Amino acid sequence: MSGFRLPAGGRVDRSTPVRFRFDGKSYTGFAGDTLASALLANGVMLFGRSFKYHRPRGLLAAGCEEPNALVSVDRGAGRFTPNLRATGVELYEGLTATSQNRWPSLRFDFGAINDRLGMFLPAGFYNKTFMWPRSFWDKLYEPAIRRMAGLGEAPTLPDPDHYAATYAHCDVLILGGGPAGIEAALDALDDGKRVMLIDDQNEPGGGTLAEPDMWPWLESSLDRLRSRSDVTILTRTSAFGYYHDNFVGAVERLTDHLAVTGDGPREKLWRIRAGEVILAQGAIERPLVFEGNDIPGVMLASAARVYAARYGVAVGKSLALMAAHDSGWQDVFALARAGVGIAAIVDVRGAVDAALLAEAETLGIRTYLNHSVIGVNGRHRVRSIQICRNGDDRASRIPCDALLMTGGWTPSVHLWSQSKGSLKWRDDLGAYIPDQSNEVVRCVGACSGSWSFGKGDVIDALPTPRDAARIKAFVDFQNDVTAKDIKLAVREGFRSIEHIKRYTTNGMATDQGKTSNLNGLQIASAALAKPAVEIGITTFRPPYTPQSFGALAGPAQGPLFQPTRKTSIDAWAERQGAVFEPVAQWRRARYFPKAGEDMQAAVNRECLAVRRHVGIFDASTLGKIEVVGPDAAEFLNRMYTNPWKALEPGRCRYGLMLKEDGFITDDGVSARLAPDRFHLTTTTGGAARVLNMMEDYRQTEWPDLDVWLTSTTEHYAVIALQGPEARKLLTPLVDGIDLSAEAFPHMAIREGQICGVPTRLFRVSFTGELGFEINVPTALGLAVWERLMAEGAPYGITPYGTEAMHVLRAEKGFIIVGQDTDGTVTPFDAGLDWAVGKTKPDFVGKRSLNRVDIAAPGRRQLVGLLTEDPEQILEEGAQIVADPAQSIPMTMIGHVTSAYWSATLGRSIALALVAGGRDRKGDVLHIPMPDGNHRARVSDMVFYDAEGSRLHV
Amino acid sequence: MSDARMSAGLARTDPVPGERFEFPGVALQLMPPMARASLRARTTTSLAKFLGIDVPQKIGSCAGPLACLGPDEWLFRSADGLPVIDDSSAGVAMTEISERSVCLLVEGPQAARLIMSGCPIDLDRFDIGRATRTVYDQVEIIVFRTGPARFEIEVWRSFAPWLWTALVKAARH
Repeated sequence: MSGFRLPAGGRVDRSTPVRFRFDGKSYTGFAGDTLASALLANGVMLFGRSFKYHRPRGLLAAGCEEPNALVSVDRGAGRFTPNLRATGVELYEGLTATSQNRWPSLRFDFGAINDRLGMFLPAGFYNKTFMWPRSFWDKLYEPAIRRMAGLGEAPTLPDPDHYAATYAHCDVLILGGGPAGIEAALDALDDGKRVMLIDDQNEPGGGTLAEPDMWPWLESSLDRLRSRSDVTILTRTSAFGYYHDNFVGAVERLTDHLAVTGDGPREKLWRIRAGEVILAQGAIERPLVFEGNDIPGVMLASAARVYAARYGVAVGKSLALMAAHDSGWQDVFALARAGVGIAAIVDVRGAVDAALLAEAETLGIRTYLNHSVIGVNGRHRVRSIQICRNGDDRASRIPCDALLMTGGWTPSVHLWSQSKGSLKWRDDLGAYIPDQSNEVVRCVGACSGSWSFGKGDVIDALPTPRDAARIKAFVDFQNDVTAKDIKLAVREGFRSIEHIKRYTTNGMATDQGKTSNLNGLQIASAALAKPAVEIGITTFRPPYTPQSFGALAGPAQGPLFQPTRKTSIDAWAERQGAVFEPVAQWRRARYFPKAGEDMQAAVNRECLAVRRHVGIFDASTLGKIEVVGPDAAEFLNRMYTNPWKALEPGRCRYGLMLKEDGFITDDGVSARLAPDRFHLTTTTGGAARVLNMMEDYRQTEWPDLDVWLTSTTEHYAVIALQGPEARKLLTPLVDGIDLSAEAFPHMAIREGQICGVPTRLFRVSFTGELGFEINVPTALGLAVWERLMAEGAPYGITPYGTEAMHVLRAEKGFIIVGQDTDGTVTPFDAGLDWAVGKTKPDFVGKRSLNRVDIAAPGRRQLVGLLTEDPEQILEEGAQIVADPAQSIPMTMIGHVTSAYWSATLGRSIALALVAGGRDRKGDVLHIPMPDGNHRARVSDMVFYDAEGSRLHV
Repeated sequence: MSDARMSAGLARTDPVPGERFEFPGVALQLMPPMARASLRARTTTSLAKFLGIDVPQKIGSCAGPLACLGPDEWLFRSADGLPVIDDSSAGVAMTEISERSVCLLVEGPQAARLIMSGCPIDLDRFDIGRATRTVYDQVEIIVFRTGPARFEIEVWRSFAPWLWTALVKAARH
């Protein structure tokens, strides 16, 4: 270990050495170190390269405001995290970290040429330069800029870690575990409330962790809090967002600090609802703006004190201080007492408290009042500084290996602002502080502007005799925004800080301007000769610090990403080797291939089985709604296009539903069970939407109707038995229902028992064959299905999937809403005029059907298409043209909505939406596809058994 | 409408495992089948007349087999079958939904915490005997508190495997 570790002090565990690697080199630190403190202890001051100019950068800070020292941590496949602040990476045995934005190495980086070209890279440079020619942007400019101006690399492998999430509730939520937060927690105790205290560090204490005198108080206070069961203390937890009604989002890092992470979650998302929020986030020290303020070794005075007092590390062997505020003097005094060499204190102010000067003298520190640093020598580390009396131009040089700066303090009002609390400007602080609250929230400690750090001058930039247009004095370190960039923005006409921010990118880096926003504001204020408060303040948005996607996604990965709904018969289909497809949130069996069959072969076999014998189909996913009440028929009469009041109990009717715009939104067959009770069915995907739409009308438009709706989708398993043998198979299994054609006609419903199970038995058909849909309680659905399979064996019963179902219905010209319609299809367009009750006084969408463009000729209408080559199956979605000899782009007159091979007909069939389609019957149209142009003749939509002779048997 | 549990010798299938899962501080178990019905009425009085039993009036409160879920909505649950109707002229809409959902029992000192891993309700301050419709993450549920450390979660059958997996994963954490 090199000589930067102080002989004593700090909260690190000197008895536990920890080995780690940075940029391939091995180092040793102590348990309790951060990557930043451990590297500093090893004499490393170069941490990274800046975003735009690739300038060498060290540490500016010791906390989450660090803009420079961004590193990538690699924990193995898929566990690569870029852009971590070295100040927040806790050391563990075997930690492997690398620097970013440099090639080939951190010390020697080709991209640093940008630094020499800096005068040609002003604010807005990329926007101005790479605009033309436009075509160069996608292929040349953007990829090149992205390569040059990047931060860490995005991980490429799936993240194998788990993430947890929870909600929590408390009466008092304290964000920030410094002295003010701890005091607030102690105050809240006596009221017997549920208290949560959240802090982003590995231990609570905040600023007191760098004040050894406070440690006994800290220890006893925490003991008191920890002894209480109604207090929850979360460490390594960042509150990143403050939302309405005291809802706070926070991420707890559970394993990133561990050498062995185990198989528990890596992070946990806390969604907290609090009675009262107390913000105790403290304040962040401001850098000063002067040439060379970004050379590695130039850092905040408070950070140097943290490294010494908390981690036992000196940031240099001979430090200088550039001060505009008293607090830096105190930091330097503490460092001097800890044994760190102090070269000089430079203060831009003409006078400071005599007590400070006396203390400096006691400690033997030279002081330069009314002086400013005007330059820093050294490239990878500070070697000396040049100082100059303000207003003078003769510089003198002070050798030192680190320069501390103290520009005053900025209260952390981020979360306060997210809560929509107002801010007020304090001239004496040069900062905004919380004013009027919008939630049940208050600020305590430094984030409220009350602190004991002393006083200071608020300045935009240090005076310098040099030409301000030729120097790089950094404001936003991470985004490489300099004072002259902000002045340029003002010269180019920007007046609002929101515009200046976006033009210069000041405050838009991953640190969100924690150290740069107010300096940027002061510089703009000086350049515009307007008070800062008139230039405004940028908006604070979540997250306060960057968070991982994994934490925000929580457990929603793999099987928990989204529920996959399965029917009670799904397990049987899976055992049969069914191929599934997703339909809305459900998975449905698409076809049941036998050995050696491809999809077409299986579907052909399934279709023919239904036409010749009997097929069995799991229709459980169909939406089902029970409509009950004396006004049930009146309600349905208003919801559907066709009349419902005269439907007799025991009969079914096809229902067509429009939205208010007159376009088809859903359809289904529904049954009247009793005068006041209907059993509706909807499409699988439309179930929730249709129920919501019906509830909307019921509750808001017609609250006078006595009718109620209940989803019964999942109460019933639905088994469709379709085919000429269906009745024969069913008859011996059913009790209490006469299945004869006379007693139980097509489009009827009967209640009785099947296999001893109560059933609602529908006689309906979506295939054109004699068919039944058997509704039984879901838990018994599989048992009934298996019984039907066994009893049906002599009839050649064949399970069929959604693909065969699609073919069978298309042969009959039955539409599928959402496939053959697209939200712009009216009942007339779909050839469903017969389903519209023309004499009904009203129904949802009725008035829209009279709109001029809906009644106009030439609308796209659903028709059948028969290819001239019967073997050719069209592509669903293919465009249709009248004349294939046109030049491209051709006039498209429609598209194919459904297309299949029909084994029954021995040829292909298709449905299509075609402009004025019904008047084109018999015409030949053209369907250009990737493999060539196909000719097809417009036909009726019903391809099979148009007279319905197979149904009514 | 008759009770499915009465029927034949056919085997029931359930969407989640039948055995009890024990974790530190909390256990998960599928509850036995129940008869369930959704009851809708304009007034509490008409429902009381319909059933001939006491009816909870306040949203979120329970009485006997009934939970009041909304201004005109009650959920009936009973292992003893569907409600016996006292006066069918009372203007009440009853729909059987016995098999629409299953019920998961969550019990143990960590039960509230486990449910709150995905449910935004403050279950520490949720009275015993209360019921409410809410969500667990993306899935709608109805939570009943039936004891100091005992909750019942009603969830639609096809969402139950997802909820079961989510609760097991959260319980392991």
